[in-house]
Amino acid sequence: MTAVPLDTFRAELERLRTDAEAALAAAGDAAAVEAARIEFLGAKSGRLKAIQKSLGGLAAAEKPAGGKQFNDTKNAITACFEAAQARVAGGASGPAVEAIDVTLPADRIRLGHLHPITKTIRRVQEIMGRLGFESVDGPEVEDQWHNFEALAIPAEHPARDPLDNFYLAVARGADPLLLRSQTSTVQIRVMEKREPPLRIVSLGRVYRPDTADATHYPMFHQVEGLLVEPGTTMAHLKSVLRMFASSFLGGDVKVRFRPSFFPFTEPSVEVDMEWGGRWVEMGGAGMVDPAVLESVGYDPDTVTGFAFGLGVERIAARRHGVEDIRDFYRNDVRFLRQF
Amino acid sequence: MIISTNWLADYVQAPGSVDDMVERLLMSGLNHESTTAVGDDTAVEIEVTSNRPDCLGHIGVAREVAVLFGRPLHVPDPRPLEGVGEVTRSVAVEILSPEICPCYTARVIRGVKVGPSPKWLVDRLATVGVASVNNVVDVTNYVMLESGQPLHAFDLAKIRGGRIVVRRAVEGEPFVAINHKTYTLSERMCVIADAERPVALAGVMGGADTEIAADTTDVLLESAQFAPLPVRAAARGLVLASASSYRFERGPDPAMVDWASRRAASLILEHAGGLLERGVVVAGHVACAPAEIRLAADRVGEVLGVDIADARQRQILTALGFVEARGAAPHDHLWRAPTWRRDCWREIDLVEEITRIEGYGHVPENAVIAARPVELSARERTVRRASEVLVAAGLCEAMTRSVVAEEMASMPSPWGEAAPLVIAPPLVRGADRLRRSLLPSLLEARAGNAAVGVDDADLFEMARAYLARRDGDDPRRGPVEEPLLAGIVVGGDFSRVKGLCDVVLAGLGLDGDGVCLGYRPIDLAPFARGRAAEVVLERSGHAAERVAVVGEVAADVAGRLGLPGPVSAAEVRLDRLTFAASIERPLVKPSDFPAVQRDVNLVVDEGVPWGEVEAAIREAAGNVLEGCRLVQVWRDADRLGAGRKSFVVAMALRSAASTLSGDEAGRIVDGVVAECGRRVNAVLRS
Repeated sequence: MTAVPLDTFRAELERLRTDAEAALAAAGDAAAVEAARIEFLGAKSGRLKAIQKSLGGLAAAEKPAGGKQFNDTKNAITACFEAAQARVAGGASGPAVEAIDVTLPADRIRLGHLHPITKTIRRVQEIMGRLGFESVDGPEVEDQWHNFEALAIPAEHPARDPLDNFYLAVARGADPLLLRSQTSTVQIRVMEKREPPLRIVSLGRVYRPDTADATHYPMFHQVEGLLVEPGTTMAHLKSVLRMFASSFLGGDVKVRFRPSFFPFTEPSVEVDMEWGGRWVEMGGAGMVDPAVLESVGYDPDTVTGFAFGLGVERIAARRHGVEDIRDFYRNDVRFLRQF
Repeated sequence: MIISTNWLADYVQAPGSVDDMVERLLMSGLNHESTTAVGDDTAVEIEVTSNRPDCLGHIGVAREVAVLFGRPLHVPDPRPLEGVGEVTRSVAVEILSPEICPCYTARVIRGVKVGPSPKWLVDRLATVGVASVNNVVDVTNYVMLESGQPLHAFDLAKIRGGRIVVRRAVEGEPFVAINHKTYTLSERMCVIADAERPVALAGVMGGADTEIAADTTDVLLESAQFAPLPVRAAARGLVLASASSYRFERGPDPAMVDWASRRAASLILEHAGGLLERGVVVAGHVACAPAEIRLAADRVGEVLGVDIADARQRQILTALGFVEARGAAPHDHLWRAPTWRRDCWREIDLVEEITRIEGYGHVPENAVIAARPVELSARERTVRRASEVLVAAGLCEAMTRSVVAEEMASMPSPWGEAAPLVIAPPLVRGADRLRRSLLPSLLEARAGNAAVGVDDADLFEMARAYLARRDGDDPRRGPVEEPLLAGIVVGGDFSRVKGLCDVVLAGLGLDGDGVCLGYRPIDLAPFARGRAAEVVLERSGHAAERVAVVGEVAADVAGRLGLPGPVSAAEVRLDRLTFAASIERPLVKPSDFPAVQRDVNLVVDEGVPWGEVEAAIREAAGNVLEGCRLVQVWRDADRLGAGRKSFVVAMALRSAASTLSGDEAGRIVDGVVAECGRRVNAVLRS
């Protein structure tokens, strides 16, 4: 027998495989597939059979490797032939198997669910992110400066009453710590560290001693936006909230301002958005009070800004028809799995 | 604040319907609560923000209506007819604490006939929800609801010593209020006393002893200013809020102190008869210094983004009671605020006044803001990734309270031994400890589900824990850290929850080069003894630290909470893992060469943990070890010997550079066996 170099043998196998795959892929009907089978896989004079004969010509040491490659090639062409045969036969592949009841229950994996409050917060974050507002967070245990003074809430203000806040029983003299009653604290912290221009949304848990009922809970979530840039006006505030409303609620949503009062904004407004054909109160907003800008070392004559806050529970409750906001904290999975 | 529309019409004629008026008020700062027909009158309840005490009386609301509709405002000018006696002979007033009572005035009317009020007065009070008492008391209530200035009428015959003393209460001093309840006062509160005892809790409520009764003939009429803090201390501290305290906490118009006194005297004379003594006793003086405010001509436009004509600005401010003072700079104006608007003292306050009357509908909503790129923080990305993994694993996100009851708080925290921080008041009944771990709350939540028949509530939560700082840390930073935790509570055994913990950590990118996570046994409640581990993170440049705990919940804890079936839990400290969000590892190209499978059966002593064997295998095999799977742990005292076990391990070996030959694979396996023998005395079982 003629000696055959392994490289030559391998090259022939490779060419054969390429040819076979091309022929079978091109075969448009059963006859063409059968013709290709005979050409490549034919038991008597198929091209594979021909190459098998030259296997004997390999050096003894190379025979295992050559043999393996021969088998691989044969398997590949056979698989290719079977696929082509199935294709030209049309419809389902392979031999008929016992039919099943396709309406039987599936082996489904169980997906978990994010909490509706988290979903609402992320939605707000995403929309505000597209408007250039960066999400920030800060401590929930706060000092008097960040929770009150820097926000223009002086010591005698009723909002600082011990009965209206959760103060920590840690001795700190005239500066007792408390659970933050608003996420505006984070805005102060960011402004203290950074210079304008600034666009942020702060979000998270806040705490106020309200008796829990269908519309109140002593722990709830706020999302607050802040923009501080030279030349900022209430028109910017209204425009941003309108863009937010249109994105959050869908469609071209109108926004309405009603005068209100907050210590840290002036002018202050309540923000109504048109939802389901009526005006719905979504939160409070206003121009950052000059006193607040001064308290963080900004010059109110050169920069102005606006701020707004949204009650997450209220929005989530309305969006999903939750009638009692305590349901958000019962953690009943029959509730949670609906979101 | 409830408004009677009949009453309001005394001061201003609003054109159009009540609904029109309500709508305009709503859009200018007085939020509408309800409108209710009461007989031939209408009660309109409005919400008055804390900066607007001027609208806690009908006249103040009437002024708003007058400004909004451009109508004249009629405020009566009461001139009660005075008799002959001098009031200063009847009563002396002394203020001992001017800081809490800057001004106190008293008028005396003698010979009144206490009886029912006229129908119009009863009706108006009824409309605004105030029950009629008698003609004298009703007048004081009426004038308060008219002017916003609270008044009080005493039976002069019961004031001892002909003296009124305004002072701080003595700590522990008893006081019987009109409601005939006895209150114990504190020195933070202010009382009106006679020569002997308190006769009223200043600004809050009168005393039972000196109230106007059917046989009262001589009336002492009080009209005063009280500071907000002592009034609030009394109203809140004694749970004794009143219409009077509500107003004094917000600051009535100082100019109304005398007006209201004259007005009430007039109405008492008219409806209860009697003679007004000449003059008024005044102690102290009315604290009132109206601000002068400069308003730059273009300021309104700068704040709003749209101009309001100068003439219109002027018209609005003038109608609101602001008085234009001498001009400042050529185009600026100087305004003096009216006494009833002490909330207005800066330029921005004037801008708000002009805008709210003009209406925010004028503010454009098509202003352009420049685009700015933003990115989620590493912390936020970490939280999102962890929650994605847990949701994919079938868990529901829970939200539990940050503050827990002492019993739950006493469960040890994996994150620090310092005692939980206490808050006051409690968040909800009994819950006054800031939690140091999420697991107690999550176990409770799972138990709550079991109680309603859902036994398979697999829950996670992402929230803070609050740990007291150690002594010696900078106290200015506050005593609390804010570790961000991911708590996990699921049914099943250690293996299930460890798997969850593993995929969370892997999902965060902690399973690659440069970081090493090891499980070590720990003994920690609420976990069962021998069924819990801590996960220790090691990475170069950092001390090894605990980043997670994982384990089976002890049966007694589960039983106490009413948890059916086995429960496991884990807690991951995400704030220590946010660095992983920034790791970007280069792609490793998958090898094109075939893998070789090799199984080994390693026999070791019972005490040898799998982790050590696995570490030996990984180190000995090096980077050709593509996978190393523990197939079986097998014990058989007869065949392996007592106290021995065998690990059946399937290894997948693959080289990135070439096809591994049988010999090469064999040498690797030999190396693995040798290393395991050296480290843990493992022997190969053939």
